[in-house]
Amino acid sequence: MSKMKKIINSYKVYSLAKYIFSLVAVALIGSFLIMFQGESPKEALTYLIDGAFGSIRCIGNTLRWITPCIFTGMAASVAFKSGVMNLGIEGQIYFGAYAAALVGFYVTFPRFLHIPICIIIAGFAGMAFALIPALLKLYFNINEMIVTLMLNYIAVLLTEYFTYIVMGISAAGDSLALATPPISDTAKLKILVPKTNASTGFIIAVALVFVVWFIYRNTKVGYELKQVGANRRFAKIGGVNVTKTFLSIFLISGFIAGVCGSVEVQGTYGKFTAGFSNNLGWDGIMIAMIANNNPFSVLLVAFIWGILKAGALHMERMCDVNRLTVLLIQALFVLFVTVDYKKLLEIFRKKGGKV
Amino acid sequence: MVELFFGTVTIAAAIRLAVPLVLSSVGGCFGDRAGIFNIALESFMLCAAFFATLGTYCTANPYFGIICGILAGLTCALLFGIFVFHFGSSGMVVSIAMNLGMDAFTSFLLLTIFGKRGSFMDERLVSIPDINIPIISELPYIGEVLNGQNIMVYLTIVLAVAAWLLMYKMPFGLRVRSVGMNEKAAQTAGINILKYKWYSVLLTGLFCGLAGAILPLGGTSIFTENMTAGRGFLAVAAIMIAGGNPIKAAIVGFMFAYAEVIAASMQNFGIPSQIVLSFPYFITIFVLLISAVCTKIRKKVVKI
Amino acid sequence: MELALELKGITKIFGKTIANDHVDLTVKKGTVHSIIGENGAGKSTLMNVICGLYQPDDGELYVYGEKKHFKNPSEASRAGIGMVHQEFMLFSELTVLDNIIMGYEPKKGLMLDSLTARKNIEKICNQYHFNIPLDAYIKDLPVSMLQQIEIVKILFRGVSIIIFDEPTSVLTPQGIEGLFEAIRTLVKNGKTILFITHKLKEVLAISDEITVLKSGKMVGNIKPKDADETILASLMVGRDVLLTANKMEKKLGDIILDVDDLYADDYDGREKLKGASLKIRKGEILGIAGVAGSGQQELVECLFGLKEVKSGKIIYEDKDISKLNCRGHRNLKIGFVPQDRMSEGVNAEGTIWENAIMGYHITSEFGSKFIINKNKVLKFTDNIIKEFNVKTPSAITKIRHLSGGNIQKIVVGREFSQSNHLLIIEDPTRGIDIGAIEFIWKKIEEMAATGTAILLVSHELNEIMEVSDRIMVMYDGKLYDAGMHGEKTESEIGLLMAGGKSE
Repeated sequence: MSKMKKIINSYKVYSLAKYIFSLVAVALIGSFLIMFQGESPKEALTYLIDGAFGSIRCIGNTLRWITPCIFTGMAASVAFKSGVMNLGIEGQIYFGAYAAALVGFYVTFPRFLHIPICIIIAGFAGMAFALIPALLKLYFNINEMIVTLMLNYIAVLLTEYFTYIVMGISAAGDSLALATPPISDTAKLKILVPKTNASTGFIIAVALVFVVWFIYRNTKVGYELKQVGANRRFAKIGGVNVTKTFLSIFLISGFIAGVCGSVEVQGTYGKFTAGFSNNLGWDGIMIAMIANNNPFSVLLVAFIWGILKAGALHMERMCDVNRLTVLLIQALFVLFVTVDYKKLLEIFRKKGGKV
Repeated sequence: MVELFFGTVTIAAAIRLAVPLVLSSVGGCFGDRAGIFNIALESFMLCAAFFATLGTYCTANPYFGIICGILAGLTCALLFGIFVFHFGSSGMVVSIAMNLGMDAFTSFLLLTIFGKRGSFMDERLVSIPDINIPIISELPYIGEVLNGQNIMVYLTIVLAVAAWLLMYKMPFGLRVRSVGMNEKAAQTAGINILKYKWYSVLLTGLFCGLAGAILPLGGTSIFTENMTAGRGFLAVAAIMIAGGNPIKAAIVGFMFAYAEVIAASMQNFGIPSQIVLSFPYFITIFVLLISAVCTKIRKKVVKI
Repeated sequence: MELALELKGITKIFGKTIANDHVDLTVKKGTVHSIIGENGAGKSTLMNVICGLYQPDDGELYVYGEKKHFKNPSEASRAGIGMVHQEFMLFSELTVLDNIIMGYEPKKGLMLDSLTARKNIEKICNQYHFNIPLDAYIKDLPVSMLQQIEIVKILFRGVSIIIFDEPTSVLTPQGIEGLFEAIRTLVKNGKTILFITHKLKEVLAISDEITVLKSGKMVGNIKPKDADETILASLMVGRDVLLTANKMEKKLGDIILDVDDLYADDYDGREKLKGASLKIRKGEILGIAGVAGSGQQELVECLFGLKEVKSGKIIYEDKDISKLNCRGHRNLKIGFVPQDRMSEGVNAEGTIWENAIMGYHITSEFGSKFIINKNKVLKFTDNIIKEFNVKTPSAITKIRHLSGGNIQKIVVGREFSQSNHLLIIEDPTRGIDIGAIEFIWKKIEEMAATGTAILLVSHELNEIMEVSDRIMVMYDGKLYDAGMHGEKTESEIGLLMAGGKSE
C-alpha cells in the first residue's frame, strides 16, 4: 500500500521538478539572448518586473493583459481536455470582437442590458465560426486542426473586409489604422483601475475559471467531458453521447474565444481594429499546454503570461532588449515543459551504466 | 477567359508560385508516411527563408544562400526530431511551439542582425538567375511558360519524381511506409524504426529548407516577417489530400498555387484584396471537403 | 544430438517486475520444444529475448554453440532465429509480397527487385506446400491464410529455428491439425521449432520436449510420454487445477433478446453480418464461438449500438433497439464488457472510481441529475473492490497501476453491479491469470442464476464450452446452433467453425 502512495508522491514531486527545471533552462537561454543584444539580464528583468508592478497603472495594465490570457487559455484547455484540437481560437476571437463592436455601435440599450447582450452575441459569433470545423469533422471526418488553421487566416482577412464595408470606404485605405466606429458608452465595461484598461472583464474571466473547475470536479457533465478526452471509445461504450459532446465542446470553446474578443473590444479598445489580436489565441493554446488543461494552472500561467506581456513593453522602452525575446522565451517554455523527463533520465541512466 | 485560365502568363506565374509549396508538400510526405505528426513545416520554411537571406547577403551568391537555407531546414528538423523522438514530447506541441518560436526568432534576428522591422531588402540580396534552355524555349506554349523560369522549377520537377521513386520503388520507401503503418510489425521485420523516422523527418527538413530558401530568392529578393504566411499549413493540407503520395501532393500543391494566381487576377475585376488574399485558404478547405466526400462515396460503392 | 539453442541464466526485468528469473533452456536441433506457462509467466518475454526484440539484463544465449548477443530482430534473424508472433505482424494495406519481403528486400541497383522476390517465395511455397496469393492485400485475406503468410515470411528470411507464439488461438481444431502438419514438415526439413502455448492438450500432441515456466522461473522439464494434463497443470499453477466451470441447475425465463436476420458492414464497407439470428432467455448463458473475423465483432457492436444496422431486427424486452445508441442501451439495463480492456474497457489515466461508475453514472442515484455525490460513488466503488476481490490500496488509485487481472475485475465488476438485465460479454478472460479466470467464470454463473441473460462471445473455444448453457457458432456472418452445454464435442464444434454443415 505505501508503495503505491510513494509512486503517487513521486509523481507530484516529478511534475514540480519539471516546471522548475524548465524555468531554469528558459532563464538561462533568455539570459543568453539578452546578453546577445548587449544588455544585462538582471537589468532587463528588473525593467520587466518594474513594467508589470511598478505603479498602480502598471498593475492595471498587467491585469488588462492577464484577462485575455485567461479567456483564451480556458478556451483552449476546455477543448483540449475533451480531445478537441481547436487551433482556431485566434479566428474566433476576431469574429467575437467584430460582433461586439457592431452591437456596441449600432444598437442602443440601457447599460445593464447592453453589456451582456454584446458579450453574448460576441460569444455566439465565435461559436458560429467554430461550427464550421466542428461540422466538417463530424460529417466528413476532416482534420479539425488544419481547417481551424486555415480559418484563422480567413477570419483576419474577412473581418478586415467587413470593417471596410461598415466604414463605407473602398478597400484601398491604410489597413493598419482601420477600425469600426467607437462603441457607445453603455456597452463599455467598467474600469477596475482608473486610467488603465483593466476592466470588469477580469472578474468575468476569473469567475469562468471557477465555474469550469466546479463543472469538472462535481458534475456528471464534467465527468463525461473528462472521460471523452481521455478515451473516446471507452466513454462511448459507457453511454456518453460522444458526437454531441464533441460538438458542444467545440462550440463552447468558440464561445469563450468570442467572449474574449468582446472583452477586448468593450474593455480595452472601444472599437474593432483590423488585425488587433496579435496572436492572443496562440497565447491561449500555449497556456493550456503548459497548464496541462487544469483550470487553476491556467489561471496561474495566464498571470505569468500577462506579467510578461505587460512588462515586455516597458523593458523594450527602457533598454535595448527586444520584446520578441519574451515571445521566444514563451515558446521555449512550452517546448521544455512538455518534455518527458522520466524517459530522458532513463536514457541517460542506461548510457551511463554501459560506460 | 481562356487567356485568364490557360494563358502562358497565368501558368508561368502559377509555376513560379508553386515551387516552394510543391517542394514542402513533397518533402512532408515522408514524415507523414512514417507516421510523424508534424505541422511545423511552416517554421522549417520560415527559418530556412531567413538563413537563405542571411547567406546570400553575406556572399551575394544565391546558391550559397540556398545551402544555408537547406542547413537551416535540417537544423529545424533535427530540433523537432530530438524533442519528439527522444524527449517524448508530442508532435503537436512541438509543432506549435516551433511555429510560434520561429516567427519570433526570425523577427528577432532580423532586428538584431539587420536592424530592420517588417521586411529587409538589399542589393546584395541576389535572386536565383532565370535561365532559358534552348530547345525547350523554342517549343510553342511550353516554351513561353518555361522561358525565364529559374533552375529551381526544373529541380522541383526532378525532385518530385525522385521522391515518388524513392517512396514506391525502392526498399527505403517501403520501409518508411511500413513504420507509419504498423510500428511493431516493422520492428519484428528487423527495421530500425527510429532510424527511418529520423531519415523521414530529415528529408522533410531538407525539402522544406529548399522550399523556404526559394521564398526570398525566387525573384522578389526581399525577406519579410512571417513571409511563409501559412504555406507550411497549405503543404500539410496538400499532403493530407494526397494521402502521402509525393506526386499527388505535388499536383495538389500546384493546384493551390494556380488558384492563388487566378484569384490574384480577379483583383482586376474589382474583387477586394482581402477576399483575394483569403482565397487559397478557402480553396484548401474546399479541396479537403471534396476529397473527403469522394472517400465517403468510394466507401459507399464498396458497400453495394 | 546437436543443440540448436541454449540459454543460461537469462534474466529480464521491467521496472520492478522480474519477467524472467535466471531461465535455463536447451533446445535440440530438429525437435519441437514446447514452452508452457500461464499468462504472465514470462513466456512471451523469453521469446522476445531470443528473437532480439528485448535485450536480457543478465545471462547468456548460444545459437548452435556460438555465443550471441542480439541487439535487434534482424541480428537474430541473421543467426537463424525467426518468430511467428501471436498477433500477426502484417501490414494490412500492403500486398502479401511486400509483407513477405519487408526488411529483407532483394535489390537490383537501387530499385526493389520484385521478380527475384516472387521467384524465391514461390520456391518456398512449393517446397512446403503453401498456397498463398502474392498480389492480394492482407486486409482481404482470412485469418488462417495470414498464419501461412507469417510462416512463409519467416522461411523467406532463411531461418532454421522458428518460434511459434500461441499460434493456435486463432484457429479451429481442424486448423490446428493443419498447422501441426506444417510443423512436422518443417521439422522433417531440418528446422527446429519452439512452441509457446498455454493449451495443454496441444502440447502433448506435438512436442518432443516440454519446459514449464512459472512466474518467470523455469519449474520443470519433462517429456510428453511422462506427463499428462493434470501433471502439467499443477506444474504451471503450483496447485492442482484444471479449469472447469461449476454449472448449476436453473430455470430459464422468457425470451429477453430476439435478434432476427441481422446485416451489417465492417469499417471498410465489406458485409460482415449476413443474416445472423439468435434468441436469449432470462438467466441463460449463450456462448458464441467462431474463428476470429467471422463477424462476432460486428454482431456485438450492433447489439450495443456501436454500429449501424443495415437491416434486421433487434427486439429487447418487446422493443426494437436497433436504432438506439449506447446511452439508450445503458438506460434499458444492458451491460457490455468489451474485448480490449485497455482501449475500450477503461480510461487508463483515470482513477478506479472514475472507471467504476462509467455507464452507471447515467442511470444511478449518485446525487442529483447534474451533481455527482462523491461519497456515494466511493461507497459503490469500494463495494466492487470488496466483492470482486480487487487488489488496490484505494478507490482513488490510478487504474494503470493495477495488474491486467485486477483491471478486468473492475470492468466486469462495473457491469455486473448495475443490476443489468442483459450482459454482452466479449473475451472476458483474455490475458489474465488462472485465478482471475476461475473467479470471473464463477461470477458469470452467479449473475445468470439471478436471472440475468448473458451473451458470451469468446475466441477461446474452451471457455465457450465450459461456461455456456447453450452454444452457437458464428461462421461467415451467420449463426448456427451447436447444441446445449456438453452436447457436442470440441471437434464437432470445430467443424462448424470452419463452415462444415451441422446435421
